[in-house]
Amino acid sequence: MFRGPAACDDRGVNQRLTLRRPGKAGPGYSGRWLAGVAAGLAAHTGLPVWVVRAVFVVLSVFAGAGVVAYVFWWVTVPAGVPTRPEDELPTERRRLAPRLTTDADADAGAQERHAASLADRVRLSGPVSRLAVRDIWVGVVLLSSAALLVAYRAGWDPVASWVLPALIGLGGVALAWSQIDATERDKWVGGGSGSLLRSRTALLRLAGGVVLTMLGVLMLVGQDTPVSVLAQATVASVAMVAGLVLVSVPWWIRLVRQLGDERAARAREAERADIAAHLHDSVLQTLALIRSQAHDPEAVSRMARAQERELRGWLYDDRREPGTSVAAELKDLVAEIEDAVAPLTVETVVVGDCPPTEETSALLQATREALLNAFKHGAPPVSVYLEVTDEVAEVFVRDRGDGFDLDEIAQDRFGVRESILGRVRRREGSAEVVSRPGWGTEVRLRMPVDRQGNGDKKTEKNGRSRAATPGTVPATVEGATR
Amino acid sequence: MTTPATPSGSTQSSVSIPVPVVLVDDHHLFRTGVRASLDDRVTVVGEAFDVDSAVAAVHEHRPPVVLLDVHLPGGNGGGGAEVVQRCADLLTEGVRFLALSVSDAAEDVVSVIRAGARGYVTKNIAPSDLSSAVVQVAGGDAVFSPRLAGFVLDAFGASANDIAVADDELDRLSKREQEVMRLIARGYSYREVAGELFISIKTVETHVSAVLRKLQLSSRYELTRWAVARRLL
Repeated sequence: MFRGPAACDDRGVNQRLTLRRPGKAGPGYSGRWLAGVAAGLAAHTGLPVWVVRAVFVVLSVFAGAGVVAYVFWWVTVPAGVPTRPEDELPTERRRLAPRLTTDADADAGAQERHAASLADRVRLSGPVSRLAVRDIWVGVVLLSSAALLVAYRAGWDPVASWVLPALIGLGGVALAWSQIDATERDKWVGGGSGSLLRSRTALLRLAGGVVLTMLGVLMLVGQDTPVSVLAQATVASVAMVAGLVLVSVPWWIRLVRQLGDERAARAREAERADIAAHLHDSVLQTLALIRSQAHDPEAVSRMARAQERELRGWLYDDRREPGTSVAAELKDLVAEIEDAVAPLTVETVVVGDCPPTEETSALLQATREALLNAFKHGAPPVSVYLEVTDEVAEVFVRDRGDGFDLDEIAQDRFGVRESILGRVRRREGSAEVVSRPGWGTEVRLRMPVDRQGNGDKKTEKNGRSRAATPGTVPATVEGATR
Repeated sequence: MTTPATPSGSTQSSVSIPVPVVLVDDHHLFRTGVRASLDDRVTVVGEAFDVDSAVAAVHEHRPPVVLLDVHLPGGNGGGGAEVVQRCADLLTEGVRFLALSVSDAAEDVVSVIRAGARGYVTKNIAPSDLSSAVVQVAGGDAVFSPRLAGFVLDAFGASANDIAVADDELDRLSKREQEVMRLIARGYSYREVAGELFISIKTVETHVSAVLRKLQLSSRYELTRWAVARRLL
């Protein structure tokens, strides 16, 4: 059988992809026209999309069979990623699991991440809401035209009294069914503050759909009946529906609960797989390397240290996007120096954080020189302390060597004088070196940071919404151009 | 490499050397390592490997210091913090807990401190420093590693706006406490902090104990959040 390129990558030859409609705003979204049924079927069967679409159009001519089939699949096939096997983790989850967050954490601890995703949400909500409205109209038009088509072929007069009620009813059904996509979409766009608003519109749509359908049915059934009888019948039928709903409540609740349990189990499984993969990829390999190089203590200690650092970062740190955190840059810098200068480790303590600016990168350059100096001339343990407040970023590099007298250093030795002190002072920072015999040496660097101003500059340059520092939600989210 | 502020000497007089210690860690290998690395100022009188055995061992030996791993199996899943809570009746009898962990996570540190531990050191601490820290805790002092001081500054705020106005304010550090914390975070020992601020070592210890108390009692948002994350509240 012919297989489309998406279906036959390196996976088993006989394995067919699960039938899924591409979800809104998810992967494969660009391939869908209406509800993604054709795109999903194409990926499932391996046929080109245009063939599937043509089949639908052709079938529609025969008493609207194509339309019926389309609607049937739209209702029954859940949204997903048609070009990816179900049992595989999405790429963003495949390796590093996100930090375990509680509700409280999600509120505040990960504001940084929230700030990032806020931009995504803002970007998405505009077109997505427009698309939903468009889809409803397309659905209504399609259904009505199909109904009209059927009517014509049956030889009935289209203006006969039952057509209008039927159209109204169908419109109501379409309105209510458009919810299928809305709920699926939530999975991609993510919860948060937007979901409240969305659930309200969803409820409105559902209510509108129910009312419309009921109106249509009433008009259809009770054409010649007197109003009083009609009212009685309405009350009776509503009461009956209410009774049915009441009776089936436990069943619904159980269904919802099962769904939740299944989701939780899946998440746990994915997490476990992540951790296993990570341990295998990095830790086990490092252990194997260590065992094979056991005769070289320096290499062993270096590998152990690097692995420990990586694992720590993986377990305890919030991974930040590169270029958004001075603290992360400092940690990278310390790691690099630890790797270069074998037998020493640095105690790094960071308080506060901000996005990098030219000033902070000069500060970190100076820190790097100070650290190298500490390793070269001082003695362990070496401590680095970075503190970022609203006005100033400070770095202290301390070692416990014998200390030295700054005045005794020859003027032509650039190490301390130029690369550390000069670098910071040129950018209106201040720097001093304190050194006492038997106490060690401390390099104190202080750099004023105009966080607001620099943040704005950065935003313009990168075209990204990074105006605020981690821990504060940005006041403005500007056009994300991705 | 964690270098906790080394003991001052002023409080050691009240501590009988060697200090009996109960060692709690779920890894046998690690317990052996710690036992071997502690010097003659400390003697291990008991060991435990999970929450329940730890509670039993501490009640049996009533040591002045318990070296306690933060992550422990058993019990209700509360780890080291649960051990401290279930031994709360002994806290008044002079049993003190020193948390010992590989974890860098703020919620781990804060949870065990808030449960009542007198200090927090990481497991890659130098052996002699660990013994010193035990002696220090036995003497009633708090042991703040640079990293713990960093957490404190992170939680209470490091800028000038975060300085307490009133002395009895629990949610903010006083100016002096902030300075002490900052110096400890920079890697200074208590003695060096005292020299830097022109105060006595005893005063430094008082400040550190005050910070520890605030860390345990404050309802600052960050602290309660970390505690909630570990189901402590």
